[in-house]
Amino acid sequence: MKHKWAMAIDMDRCTGCGACVVACVAENNTPTAGEEEAGKGRLMQWLRVSRFWKKEGEETRAIFVPTPCMHCEKAPCEIVCPVYATYHDEDDHLNAMVYNRCIGTRYCANNCPYSVRVFNWWPAKWEKPLDEQLNPDLSVRSRGVMEKCTYCIQRIRRGKETAIKEGRKIRDGEVMPACAQTCPPGAIIFGDLLDPESEISRTVKDTRLFKLMEHLGTEPSTVYLKKQKGPGR
Amino acid sequence: MKRRDFLKLGGATAFAALFGGCDNLPKKLVPFVIPPENYTLGESLWYASVCRQCPAGCGIVVRVSEGRAKKIEGNPLHPVNSGKLCARGQAGLQALYHPERLGRPLKLSGPRGSGKFTETSWEDALSILMTGLKKIRAEAPGSLLMLAEPMRGHRNLVVHRFLRAFGAPAPVAWDPFGHDALLAANEDVFGIRDIPEYDIANARYLLSFSGDFLETWLSPVHYGRAYGRMRQERPTVRGKFVHFGPRLSMTAANADVFLPIAPGTEGFAALGIAHVMVREKLTPSPAASSLWTAGLRQMTPETVGEKTGLRPSDIEAVAREFAGNQPGLAIAGDGAAGCTNGTFHFSAAALLNVLAGNLGKPGGLSFPDRRSAFPRAGADASTLAPLPESGFASVRNTLEKMRGGAFQVALLSGETNPAFTLPAGLKFPESLLSVPLVVSFSSFLDETSSLSDLVLPVPTYLEEWGDDIAPAGHSGDAVGLLQPVIEPFRDARPMPDILIAAAKELGGPVAAALPWKNFRECLEQGYTGMGVNLENARREGGIFSRKGSLSRTAKRAGNPPLPKAIEASYEGDAARYPLVLHVYPSIALSDGRGANLSWLQEMPDPISTAVWRNWVEVHPKTAESLGIADGDGVVVTSPFGSMEAFAVLHPAVAKGTAAMPLGQGHTRYGRNAAGRGGNPFSLLPVKDTAGAKSHARQSTRVSIAKARIKGKLVRTVNVEGQWKYENIL
Repeated sequence: MKHKWAMAIDMDRCTGCGACVVACVAENNTPTAGEEEAGKGRLMQWLRVSRFWKKEGEETRAIFVPTPCMHCEKAPCEIVCPVYATYHDEDDHLNAMVYNRCIGTRYCANNCPYSVRVFNWWPAKWEKPLDEQLNPDLSVRSRGVMEKCTYCIQRIRRGKETAIKEGRKIRDGEVMPACAQTCPPGAIIFGDLLDPESEISRTVKDTRLFKLMEHLGTEPSTVYLKKQKGPGR
Repeated sequence: MKRRDFLKLGGATAFAALFGGCDNLPKKLVPFVIPPENYTLGESLWYASVCRQCPAGCGIVVRVSEGRAKKIEGNPLHPVNSGKLCARGQAGLQALYHPERLGRPLKLSGPRGSGKFTETSWEDALSILMTGLKKIRAEAPGSLLMLAEPMRGHRNLVVHRFLRAFGAPAPVAWDPFGHDALLAANEDVFGIRDIPEYDIANARYLLSFSGDFLETWLSPVHYGRAYGRMRQERPTVRGKFVHFGPRLSMTAANADVFLPIAPGTEGFAALGIAHVMVREKLTPSPAASSLWTAGLRQMTPETVGEKTGLRPSDIEAVAREFAGNQPGLAIAGDGAAGCTNGTFHFSAAALLNVLAGNLGKPGGLSFPDRRSAFPRAGADASTLAPLPESGFASVRNTLEKMRGGAFQVALLSGETNPAFTLPAGLKFPESLLSVPLVVSFSSFLDETSSLSDLVLPVPTYLEEWGDDIAPAGHSGDAVGLLQPVIEPFRDARPMPDILIAAAKELGGPVAAALPWKNFRECLEQGYTGMGVNLENARREGGIFSRKGSLSRTAKRAGNPPLPKAIEASYEGDAARYPLVLHVYPSIALSDGRGANLSWLQEMPDPISTAVWRNWVEVHPKTAESLGIADGDGVVVTSPFGSMEAFAVLHPAVAKGTAAMPLGQGHTRYGRNAAGRGGNPFSLLPVKDTAGAKSHARQSTRVSIAKARIKGKLVRTVNVEGQWKYENIL
């Protein structure tokens, strides 16, 4: 069963609250860096909410751009990996990582225009009993490997397994990454583009659609919907 | 998730009953020879409960695998949050598994307040408590004090009944972000002293006066969801949002129009809008003609413009749009509530709702009766669904009595941390140290529990039975139910259970007032008495009405008085302290209770993008005149104290204002929290808001001077250099 998972982030709904960031950390066994390591730019979060200032003076506004992995169709990170640790998953159209193949050259991070890959500088430590909370559905990555947002691949796998067991297709909305599930204003839409009836397939037809750094031709699967102006649609 | 799937996932309450509860518990992971039917290794079960990370009362479902909680999600059936959850709710697991959580009772082993404790047995700890209680029970029952966070549901009922039967005064509750100003204003304007239900989702036009409803105010997840629906859920309407305030907060950043105003002038901006609406006859409200008094007539856009710094044309434009786009809403929030004239700001915003005719309409505001959830509770209904007040006035009185020696035994409970959140001028630590016996029910050693003689470890909300009624987000009768989703992780006992056991030992009227075997039985009797099928209710996470709105009619909505315009006042000489201090609750740490969780410490602040630290925001022009650059260490001084912080240049904070997030600056409360800069609460004066008697947080001036301080402010990697805003949108 083939899928093309995609995410749309509605900038008109996103409030910048950061619930997605903590939901991602909780779901994906992402270690906390601590103040000192964070100061060296080693925050391990797979999803960040970038804040941009718009204009100076009276018109100043802040704009929030939640930035997970873009899961590019033509991913710049994949072609530079010397050991094929990051590859394109043909079945799900995901930009996936094989952690135990990664040798930590960090070429992928260097080549990612969106700066969404993080490197494991230290072996992650979970002081007891904090380790009890670790998600049993995915591994704890070791030192020296790159990691990144996977669209919660463990949830996609589980959804596929359940669907196969029950002999049916995956329903729209059945598979949901942690960030999309928790997002209070419902700004994150996730689904299968190969399902023409899905919400994501409807969403990508919106005229407000845009992609980050579209001129680079990376063909990201994570797309955005512009903020709207004024009342009425 | 579909409702049916959800029921399937949650269908294992019998298992929860085996694991949960408050009696002696099996201590092994899988103690069954023959496991229960629905228990399979490797598969997860989901249990519904209620979040207690803030007072909003959202419903949660917790994934439990092999007896351990693994993930918290929103409960899709709960009307407050409909399956959504904020960052703090997501971080609840870290409170459960915190390495520094107390697992044994602690007895003081040094001088009081030293923070030196040794572990002791429950028998020993409870005998100390009982000796203290028995002693004063005979001589002076009125000298027992209970200080807690505002509690709801049967937990509050147990505490109230215990104290009443004991002969002690009612419990004193303290929440630094209580809604006193909102309650007082609604009483003045509508004749109802309660929290309204704001239907933001269906509004076409939303006016906010420092109402940071997307961050920490009232029910952030509920209003966050409503905001998303207001923007994009309707086929032809996109609600417009206009924000007035002294600081571009995260909420303000989401507004279509952000109109910066001088601190403490929110109410004047609202009256300016009311003036235009009445003058131009833009309102059908019968109240309009009687309101056209000298007071409102002088609030011309020009006068208001001078006071607030707004352009008169902006006031007129907003007034016309607000009147012309119905249904609309005007709300005021935390930033305005803390001013000395906080009640005036809320009254003026409420007046706009009257003028626009927003009361009782979809897309407007209504007043559900939360006591209707407990139809048979009688007089107890007010303890099951109490008003969300801050309790500042009673804390103040109590501390005075405490210093006079009125209390022999003090019981401290809950998430409230008065030693951290009360202004230093109230001398909380000194007052508490004058009480001979202080017993804390607490999961962590924070500033307050460190001042006690005895600390009794309590379970977290994920290991407890309980119930909760949310202050906002439902039509009045939705009750959330808590159940232990896992076996209690530490040797902790719930506070209501300890009180019930103590009552039994005290005997007489106290035992008669709390006739239950344990707290679980108290809950079950309460709800089965109301005809509730508890098994089903626990599976769904609560009792959710499908009856629709139960809104009350406002007594005075037709003819409200014009709120009296009061100026905000500030402590401190303007020459010595040139900046007005604007403090706001941190979205991650709230009043500081989240500061011990590393996930929340490491969640970048939406505006400053800082992690792990405190900062002070100043306008670039103000900073320039003070010789301060972005990231510099500074000392912030008010007439009441001083603290270190890092400067953050914020291009949209009012000039002449210093804005600071609250929540950081702990001296205790564990490794993650302690020693991260100063505590902004320590800069605040002891001052009331007029008419509401809550703490006036926004009422002091400060000075800022450059200083050498340790470390640097850590912010998330900023890719702004690579990405121009123009390329983003």
